[in-house]
Parts: sequence; C-alpha cells; structure tokens
Amino acid sequence: MADIFELRDIEVWDGNMAASHALRQAQVDVVAAYPITPSTPIVENYASFMANGYIDGEFVMAESEHGAMSCCIGASAAGGRVATATSSQGFALMLETLYSASGMRLPIVLNVVNRAIGAPLNVNGDHSDMYMGRDSGWIQIDCYNPQDVYDMNLVAFRVCEDHGIRLPAMVHQDGFMTSHTAQRVKTLSDDVAYDFIGEFKPMNDMLDLDHPVTHGVQTEEDWHFEHKARQHHALMSAVLPKIQEAFDGLKALTGRQYNLVESYTMDDAEIAIVCMGTSVETAQEVSNELRAQGIKAGVVGIRVFRPFPLEQIADALKGCKAIATLDRSSPNGTVGALYNELAGALFNTSTHAVLTNYIYGLGGRDLTKSSIHTIYRDLQANAQAGSPTTPLQQFIGLRGPKLSFF
Amino acid sequence: MLQNGWDTFEIGTILRPFEGSISDASAILPEDRLYSQSNSFSVSVADWRIEKPLFNKDLCIDCQFCWIYCPDMSIISRDKKMVAVDYDHCKGCGICVQVCPTTPKALLMFPEQKDEEEALLEWPKKEKKEKEN
Amino acid sequence: MFQAKTKNLKNFSTSAERFEGANLLCPGCAHSIIVREVLNATNDHLILGASTGCLEVCTAVYPHTSWDASWIHIGFENGSSAVAGAEAMYKVLKNKGRLKQPDRTPKFVAFGGDGATYDIGFQWISGCFERGHDMMYVCLDNEVYANTGGQRSSSTPIGASASTTPSGRISYGEKQNKKDMMAIMAAHGAPYVAQVAPNQWRDMVAKIQKGFATEGPVFINAMSACTTEWKFSPEDTIAISDLATDSLVFPLYEIIDGTKLNITYRPKNVIPVRDYLGAQGRFKHLFTKQYEYLINEWQARVDAKWELLQRREEACL
Ligand SMILES: Cc1ncc(C[n+]2csc(CCOP(=O)(O)OP(=O)(O)O)c2C)c(N)n1
Ligand code: SF4
Ligand code: SF4
Ligand code: SF4
Ligand SMILES: [Mg+2]
Repeated sequence: MADIFELRDIEVWDGNMAASHALRQAQVDVVAAYPITPSTPIVENYASFMANGYIDGEFVMAESEHGAMSCCIGASAAGGRVATATSSQGFALMLETLYSASGMRLPIVLNVVNRAIGAPLNVNGDHSDMYMGRDSGWIQIDCYNPQDVYDMNLVAFRVCEDHGIRLPAMVHQDGFMTSHTAQRVKTLSDDVAYDFIGEFKPMNDMLDLDHPVTHGVQTEEDWHFEHKARQHHALMSAVLPKIQEAFDGLKALTGRQYNLVESYTMDDAEIAIVCMGTSVETAQEVSNELRAQGIKAGVVGIRVFRPFPLEQIADALKGCKAIATLDRSSPNGTVGALYNELAGALFNTSTHAVLTNYIYGLGGRDLTKSSIHTIYRDLQANAQAGSPTTPLQQFIGLRGPKLSFF
Repeated sequence: MLQNGWDTFEIGTILRPFEGSISDASAILPEDRLYSQSNSFSVSVADWRIEKPLFNKDLCIDCQFCWIYCPDMSIISRDKKMVAVDYDHCKGCGICVQVCPTTPKALLMFPEQKDEEEALLEWPKKEKKEKEN
Repeated sequence: MFQAKTKNLKNFSTSAERFEGANLLCPGCAHSIIVREVLNATNDHLILGASTGCLEVCTAVYPHTSWDASWIHIGFENGSSAVAGAEAMYKVLKNKGRLKQPDRTPKFVAFGGDGATYDIGFQWISGCFERGHDMMYVCLDNEVYANTGGQRSSSTPIGASASTTPSGRISYGEKQNKKDMMAIMAAHGAPYVAQVAPNQWRDMVAKIQKGFATEGPVFINAMSACTTEWKFSPEDTIAISDLATDSLVFPLYEIIDGTKLNITYRPKNVIPVRDYLGAQGRFKHLFTKQYEYLINEWQARVDAKWELLQRREEACL
C-alpha cells in the first residue's frame, strides 16, 4: 500500500506540482512518460513520490514521447488507470498515437503543459501544441492557474473513464505561466480526492483472460466512417453533460464552481474578449478596470476546448456587440482557430456582433494589460460602428510594422 | 453485418473471437469452442483455391509434417493422427504436399473441382519392391 | 525445458491452435507458420501485439479477427511498446490484487516485421529491452516491406531487387548488407536472443520455450520466407527455408545474457549460397557474368560469419 501524503488544506503549488499530486491521488496504475520542458517537473515530482513510497503503480520512463503514449495505450487497453504528461515537440511526436488512443476509446489522461512548437525552437508557453491536438478526438480541458490544474485532473479521470464516454482527455495549462508559478491551491485529502474520481472500472480489458479481445483493428471504406462517426457522437453528445456533472460534484465537495464556458461579467456585456489559459485572468482584471469606468466589458474563458461548447458559447455572447477572439498560436495561413470556432458558433444566431481576431503571445511573449486595453478600445469602436473598424486579424505585442490581415 | 449503422458497434472497434467466456483456449479444440461471428474461423477462403490438397489415408504415416508446416491451420490432426484437410480454411498453397515424405505422397494437389473418390482411384500406386527385383 | 507436448511432432500436433484460418495472409506465407509455432509452443495464457505489416493487416481486418488471445495493434513502430505497456499494467494489477484471474500468469509477445524491427520501430524496441520488460519480441524477418509492396528495409540483403532498390540496367538492386540485428539486441544485454527458422521447428520451438521461461526481454529473429516478395512459388516456402538454413545464409544460434553464444543447428551438408539465391526471383538478375563476383562475395561473407559464430561459441565454452 502506498503511504498517505498528508497535505495541508492550502498548499503553495505550481501547476506542475498540482498535476503531480492529482495523478498521485488518482492512484494511477501506469504512468509512462518522457521529460520535456515545461512539463518535466510533473514527471520528476511523480518519480519522487514513487521513490518515497507514495505510489503503488508502475512508472515507465519511456525512450520518447511516442513510446510513452504507446505504452500508455497498451497499458490502458490492458485494463487500468493510465496518465502521462508532455509539451510541445513531445506532443508533436506523440501525435500519431493520440489518434490511436481516441479511436481505440482508451481513457488516458494527458497533462499538456502548453508550449510553442519549433522551428524556431522555443521552450515557452503558447498554444501551438493544444491547437495541434484539436482534431485528435481527445477531450481537451483548459486551466488558467494551478488550482484549476488540480481540479481539472480529478474531473478528467472521472469523466473520461466513464463507460458512457471512454475517451482520452487532455488537461492543458500554460507553460511556465501556470506550470512554474506557485500559487495557493486548496487541496483534498487523498481519500476524498480518490473517492471523487472513483475506482477504475475496466472495459474490454486485455487482461481479462476469460474474454480475449482484439484491439486496434483495421477498418476500410466499408466500416471506417461508421466507427469514426460513433466516436464523434460520443464526444459530441455524452461528454459535456458528464463534465457538467463532475463540475457539480466538485462544487458540492469544495464549493469551487467551474463552468463549460467561464463567463465573467457577461450578463450585460457589450464588448467581450474570448480567450484561453492564463490570458483569461489577465483579461478579467482589465475588464474590472473598464467596469469601474462604466464600460460594459466582459470575458469568456474557454474551459472545454473539445468538445467545443458551441451552444453555450453562443449563449454567453448573445447580447454582445463586439467580440475579440485571442489566439496564442500562429494560424499559419488563415484566421485563428478560436476565431473560426466563434464564427461557427455565432453564425446562424441572431447576433449582430462584430467579430475580430488577435494573434498574441507566441513563444511565451507576455500579454500585457495595456494590449488588452487596446483590444477593448478596438471593440468599443467596433460596437459603436456596428462593423469592423480594424482589420479582422491583428498581431499584438509584436515588434516592427503593424501586422494585420483581412 | 454490413447493414449495421454507426450506432450498433462495440466502441473502440474491438472484436471478440469467442461468444461469452473461454477459460483456456489452449486446452479446447476448435470443435468445442464457441467461436463468434467475428472470428475469422467463421469465414471460408475456399474460393481462393485453384487447386486443393487431397488426402489418401492409406499412405499416411502420421508424421505430422503437413500439420506443422501448413500456414493456415488446415491440417486437422486429432489424437496424433492426420484426419482431414479443413477445406474452409485451406488456401491451396501446396506446402503440405511438398513436405509429405511418403512415396507416393499421402497428400496430392488436384484441381479444385476434382471428385475425391475419383482422385483416390487415380492415385499413384506404391511401387512394389518385388517388381524392381 | 522441452515440454512433453513438443517432444515430437505427433505430440505437438495435439495443440489447440490459438491463431485462426481465413486470415488474409498469402497462401504459403511463413509469417503464419512462425506464429503457429510460437503460440503452440506454450499452453500459457497469452497477451499479444503486432506492428503494422502483413501479419497485422491480414489478421485483424474488421469485422474479423484471427486471434484467440487478447491482441493489440497501434501502429507500425510501436508494437513493442504496446505490449510493454500491457505488461506494466499486468504487474500493477497483480501487485494491487486487481487481476480478474489472479491464478494465471500470461506471457507477453509482440510480433513485428523486419521493417517494424530493424527500421522504424527500432527505438521503441531498444527502449523496451533496456527497461527490461518481461516480454518476447518476435521479428518476422522477410527482409522487405512486404505489406506495402516490397520496398527495401535495412534487413534486405545486398543484391536483392526490392521495389525501392530495383535491379536495372545499371543496378544490381540493394547495395547495403543486412543489418546484424542479433548482435544489436545481444548488445542490449538481453537475457535471451535467438535466431530461428520455422522449417527447423524443433530448434525454433525449443528456443521459444526457452524464451518463455526467461524473465526479462527476449528477442527472436525469425526468418520468414515470403513467397510474394522473394518470388518463389507458395508450395516452396519450407524448401526455400531449408536452403536458407542449410546454406548458412541464415544460421541458427542463440545468445544468452548478451555474451554466451550457442550454435543450435549445424547442417549435415552445407549447400552453396548460390543454390539459395538461385531459387528466388529477387536474386535472378545476379546470375550473369557481370555479377558473378557478388555471389562469390556473398559466399565469402557467409563463410566468414559462420567462422565468427563458431569462434564466439568456442570462446564461451
Ligand atoms: C508511420 C508509418 N510509416 C509507414 C507506414 C506504411 N507501412 C505500413 S506496413 C509497412 C511495411 C511493413 O514491413 P515489415 O515491418 O517488414 O512487415 P511485413 O509486411 O514485411 O511483414 C509500411 C512501410 C505506416 N503504416 N506507418
Ligand atoms: S494446401 Fe496449404 S493451406 Fe491447404 S492444407 Fe495444404 S498446407 Fe494447408
Ligand atoms: S505429411 Fe503426409 S504422411 Fe505425414 S501426416 Fe501428413 S499426410 Fe500423413
Ligand atoms: S507478402 Fe509475403 S509476408 Fe506478406 S502475406 Fe504475402 S507471403 Fe506473407
Ligand atoms: Mg518485412
């Protein structure tokens, strides 16, 4: 039996430590991982828990991220709780297997500490890796601070292992800004956290020797479409209600309330910023400042990126006159992904809101409050004009001549 | 099964070789197993063959060379004796005939349509030692 | 060590197969013969895996499976890691008392082609062996990417015509020598590494059983004569395999703990390499005056390798 780790009610943890403790409390059976900045400490912390008797499971130090996720898939198919962590280049190396994990309906939890993808090589936080994963069939939950990271890990296990779901889940946090920034984290005791997640219930487990099972078959044109449709259906119809249920459970347990879409002073907002990660809290601060001046500003934070809560977002933004979507990943040839998502959510609704797009923070460039003020000023102008007063896509926080498109 | 819609499969594209549970397949012969429709055992590849191996029991010495080298589990041996060819799963490769050590061989390839009794009548006869002397 | 059921072929033929027919492998495919010999060598429960390649695409095509034991495939390069992950999970569930059948101890086996083993999956295998998972990795070595139509691999021998190294007016085909995977795996310090050929069933089954009895990672390089890509007719699979082992192009030996080498098969009559090459279409173009030297070099290489194996064996005695 692993030792109980006595936690204080409030610990000072960075996002990585929060993730490590959540994995420990989940009593993960197999962690197979490979180090990469800035997610490395998750793996190191876990190894140290292991070395000190706090972990009963297996810890496989793989030879690469691809190998790590491959081991995770084998372990998950064998029939137990599985988790890992990665970032950036490691995430990219894993990508092939991410599609395997979701297609094989294996409930693996992957902590992604978001980081830019080279070239040029960069170790800092942006959302390139998170965006790369968005078609991979995983649930993607986004965190804004270490407390979120802790809570969302617990939620992720509970949701993805449910037999009505059986889909893998990523828990995203911003590299360094969350992963390496120590903050107060309210904790649960080991047994309360474990009970919240629940026991792992095997399904189609290879180790059930009485019921041999074949995993990872080939399907060609006569079958493939149906299987992918089934997978998409599960993601679309079962996941959001299950996440909501887990959020409700967490609220009952801790008082902390999470929402599929994190609306901040949106009730009467006329201008809104939609963003992810640590930027959500920065934008909230700026919106407070604007509210103090009587400007009806709000923020919509994306909590669940996949499945994308299209209707909830459209609802949160229904009264808005101007909306800015902030994308922290180079769109490389089109508008930002969040802009696309929002346009998709709002089109065919009664909204007349002006929708614009800002590319920011690549490679860990700070998003300053002053930049956010600028964006809100643009939004005010757009709201007043009822049409875009700026190009649709602008780069902010960038040196050199102003860069914009469309 | 091809009629099935997307909402009718097991998730994760898994397949089950058997119906229900099986305690130890290594101890249960095919005839005693409850194969599922998903098991390729339930399918026939007889139409792959142009030629088929026919078996002449009288010439067989039960060496089991054909059994060990048949790639398709199509030599049915029971109680250490070669019993028959499984024509649902035999692909007609001809390996069993090649490795059969008797003279004449106890297995020979014939056109797929060949009548078995006819073939047995035409089978090369054992050379009688006396004749040679 | 040699189980009663494999004492002789008569006993062996009482095995209840756990690999099924009506798979899509070519008539005469040696992959299948190898898989049968591996699976039938034990009565233990099995957890199996495969890398993308002929074996995988021919035995698990929806809606049919040919596997009577649990089996997993992920991709081309990671069959080893898939099985290693399952093995890791087994250890945990055993420790935590969560196995559904705690009284049974399954064996873990990963199959992969030479492409999956010598080339694209090498890193994953190396990782699994270095970490010491208790599993067997069986390479189905047909010296070519057969599944995708016969492209060369680093196991393709010099002079073979493969679709990406075809013989032509100015080329004799593959230019590189076959990679020595046995040496590489032995260098990992693996407790058991063995080369086998399905025609030498007794030798092969003994090695598989030794492998199953070994704790830790076991590497088996199994020669798999490919009727389609080596270009011989399907009924000759065993005959070609005999030529390979008896010409010593494919010597049968084992390496224990990375050091102790045993030759396990010494042909009574060693046949010329030329006879082996001549029986296959992939080497047909070598049989001209122009390339006579290649065949001679090949013979010299085989002789030297045999000499080396014998010296290494003696050194261990
Ligand atoms: C990452 C990746 N690259 C390439 C392929 C295409 N591919 C599939 S199988 C294969 C060759 C298999 O060769 P080998 O491992 O020798 O097995 P064989 O078919 O010869 O038994 C290739 C190139 C793939 N499926 N995945
Ligand atoms: S012809 Fe081939 S497949 Fe058929 S029984 Fe003989 S060896 Fe087996
Ligand atoms: S190889 Fe020939 S003699 Fe031997 S068992 Fe088969 S049929 Fe009989
Ligand atoms: S191509 Fe070769 S290895 Fe592949 S199924 Fe055919 S004979 Fe077997
Ligand atoms: Mg091959």
